[in-house]
Amino acid sequence: MMAPDRILGDYGNSNERCEYLTLAFSPLSVPLRTRWRNNGLSADFLGDYVTTFLPAASETASAGKHQAEIRHAVTYIANELLENAMKYHAHEVDIPIRLRLELADDRITVSATNGAVAGQAEHYRTFVERIAPENAGDLLVRQLEDTAAGNGSAESCLGLLTMMNDYGAKLGWRFEQHGAHPGVTMVTTRAILPLKDRCGERA
Amino acid sequence: MRNISGESFEVRLEEDNRTVFFKGALRLSGMEDYAPILEMLKGTLMNPGAPIVFDLRELDFLNSSGITMFSRFVIEARERADVSLQFLASESIPWQSRSLKNLQRLMPSLEICLD
Repeated sequence: MMAPDRILGDYGNSNERCEYLTLAFSPLSVPLRTRWRNNGLSADFLGDYVTTFLPAASETASAGKHQAEIRHAVTYIANELLENAMKYHAHEVDIPIRLRLELADDRITVSATNGAVAGQAEHYRTFVERIAPENAGDLLVRQLEDTAAGNGSAESCLGLLTMMNDYGAKLGWRFEQHGAHPGVTMVTTRAILPLKDRCGERA
Repeated sequence: MRNISGESFEVRLEEDNRTVFFKGALRLSGMEDYAPILEMLKGTLMNPGAPIVFDLRELDFLNSSGITMFSRFVIEARERADVSLQFLASESIPWQSRSLKNLQRLMPSLEICLD
């Protein structure tokens, strides 16, 4: 049985006073395959949205490169989180999938929340407990070898490892039992992108 | 020439059967959807000796399932002593400078040419 309300990794805190944007999707409204196209559109939207809050690309060449890097990182992370949330959501219950973007001076946070049946949530939790920032690179190469050998279950976790290893994201997870559906665990995966250069570039 | 395309992407195998051109955003939903592209890529391994070139300079986006597809191909290629592999990449496309190096860890002889 899943222990309720567990937090793992670098989960951080939500700051309600910062800029944020939440998108919600009802899993029952259209089939997953039809929904898939929306994942890309939503991820692209979040990537475009954050650029408004970064130094203008026209200011300097380095600002332009920085903006393109952040925009891509947000798009990649949002796309991966949303793909996983869609794939592993408990489809038989009407619980919305949420994608949230938070903008603070020193970081951008992207998180996705979905309802998962208890066994699926437990499987995911067991995997994320093995991930630590210092072993993400080695784990990533091992996962690439595993998935190439046909171990399909490792496939979705590859996205998490690339976020950490390739984009420097800090990841955290929250597992909570759903109040109205005891067999469903609400799983939130949160990726934090530090923005050390943002103020410096603006000055 | 063989071509696989979707709403947001195009993958084209050139007449020489060793050059593959990628364009757009590849964000298919899993290995099942990537299977036809992977099969096309594996077709390049039929020409022993000739270098295989993947031109990624117009591939703006690749999801992690796409990375898995490339890793499957690279792992199959490295088993073949007669295969040399070259990726043409662009520094202005962020995922390429960030993620292609992982494929090089699978196959150290893989050459990545960044524009």
